[in-house]
Amino acid sequence: METESMDCESSTRSIPNDNETYHFSSTKKHAGAAAAVVTNIVGPTSTAAATSVYELLECPVCTFSMYPPIHQADDTTQFRDSVAEIALGQAYCHNGHTLCSTCKVRVHNRCPTCRQELGDIRCLALEKVAESLELPCKYYNLGCPEIFPYYSKLNHESLCNFRPYSCPYAGSECGVVGDIPFLVSHLRDDHKVDMHAGSTFNHRYVKSNPREVENATWMLTVFQCFGQYFCLHFEAFQLGMGPVYMAFLRFMGDEEEARSYSYSLEVGGSGRKLTWEGTPRSIRDSHRKVRDSNDGLIIQRNMALFFSSGDRKELKLRITGKIWKEQHSPDSGLCIPNLSS
Amino acid sequence: MEPRINHLQIESQVHELLDYPVCTNQITSTIYQCSNDYTGEVNNDKENPYNCPYSGSKCTATGDTQWLLQHLRNDHHVEMHDGRSFSHRYVHHNPKHLHHATWMLTLLDCYGRQLCLYFEAFHLKKTPMYIAYMQFMGDEEEATSFSYTLEISGNGRKMTWQGVPRSIRDSHKTVRDSQDGLIITRKLALYFSADNSNSKELKLKISGCVWREH
Repeated sequence: METESMDCESSTRSIPNDNETYHFSSTKKHAGAAAAVVTNIVGPTSTAAATSVYELLECPVCTFSMYPPIHQADDTTQFRDSVAEIALGQAYCHNGHTLCSTCKVRVHNRCPTCRQELGDIRCLALEKVAESLELPCKYYNLGCPEIFPYYSKLNHESLCNFRPYSCPYAGSECGVVGDIPFLVSHLRDDHKVDMHAGSTFNHRYVKSNPREVENATWMLTVFQCFGQYFCLHFEAFQLGMGPVYMAFLRFMGDEEEARSYSYSLEVGGSGRKLTWEGTPRSIRDSHRKVRDSNDGLIIQRNMALFFSSGDRKELKLRITGKIWKEQHSPDSGLCIPNLSS
Repeated sequence: MEPRINHLQIESQVHELLDYPVCTNQITSTIYQCSNDYTGEVNNDKENPYNCPYSGSKCTATGDTQWLLQHLRNDHHVEMHDGRSFSHRYVHHNPKHLHHATWMLTLLDCYGRQLCLYFEAFHLKKTPMYIAYMQFMGDEEEATSFSYTLEISGNGRKMTWQGVPRSIRDSHKTVRDSQDGLIITRKLALYFSADNSNSKELKLKISGCVWREH
């Protein structure tokens, strides 16, 4: 049972541990005006195309993954999508029964409908049709105006700037998605995250027994300034070299816009001071990715205890910082290399 | 005779920023006045010599600061820079090959005193790290009257360390292991080194300055 808690003294709330559960709407969101377009949802919320088309596209084993994206499109668009899905994802038995390629593996090559052997019959004609199809990005109703050939559509959609953001809350696998205003309310109401207005901060992190850093403990505060939202993360975890504390900032928006901002973090005591200045990462980069890239203020526990006015038994880390907007456009040479190794 | 460090190269530019004239007379023995108004040759260098601060070798030379300076420059070929601020670039083509502890030592001459600037690559529980720190060629009491900053920048990020130089009475290994300096993971060092090319070279620009509080 978790007995340690890390407190931030700029608020009186203690930090929730990993055992607490948050009640919010289910991770796969269905309707909701501010929520995202969803894919692969089977159900009556799908729109008006003929029932027989959907039955045709339904994999008899998993009833999944052959459905087209659900959106308020015209029927033609839906049909074109479904044709493309068929070409890429299906297998056929000799009697023409269809199956998605994932389930084909699971049924050991026996058609679940007629028990005939499933061959490796591909439908080349349909594949060629799929190649020539041009389809809108599935986030078109969130504003994306672009149209792609089917095979590059998926790649674009994984990077599309109009795609919804994932909840930036660290420490749990929250699957909620949405736009920024929605996620801010979600963080505040469902995750009970502290909200601060302003671009400077001064937090004291207190932990009575800092030796216990086995489970990652973390804190998230949201700052609102310059009409934007930023997530300040503070964490204690084990790095290869032992227990460390790390603080870093993420921007609630896209990477390009994140580059217009900079932030600094400072921690000190006993005649020593460590300062970090950097560019906030976008929340498109997962919290774990930013943490593992060491892109922030990192302090080993020994040094943190030293900063905590020297009695080395209690952690009392004072971290100050500020966020500002860059006057000039950032260097064109700026790159954020992929440090996933 | 001495192991040469072939792999690390320093490109350095020195900025001389003396704010006020400094008397550069070398004093052969230091006379301290402690806070209780006792004057005397506390920690007389000649009676209590320092160990050679050149790290990584088995050099057992001892002497006072003046003798050690000559020794470092002549026997260990350490560079010495005038002035209280500096800017160095540490370059290594293949930083993943730094298995053993590798380090560089530079001397700084300012305020009539000398300081050692160390830069080291080492492993901390299997994690490759770099650390930079300064040590004062003198005793701890005088060392605490100095402060120094070290700054690493690159790729839109900057990290600054402000600290108090330890005395060379502490071995360089003691200071390194206490992490009393600017310390970063190699991963972060490569991040600072990143530019538009995809090379995984280490190109660390470290600048800093020293000042005296009183």
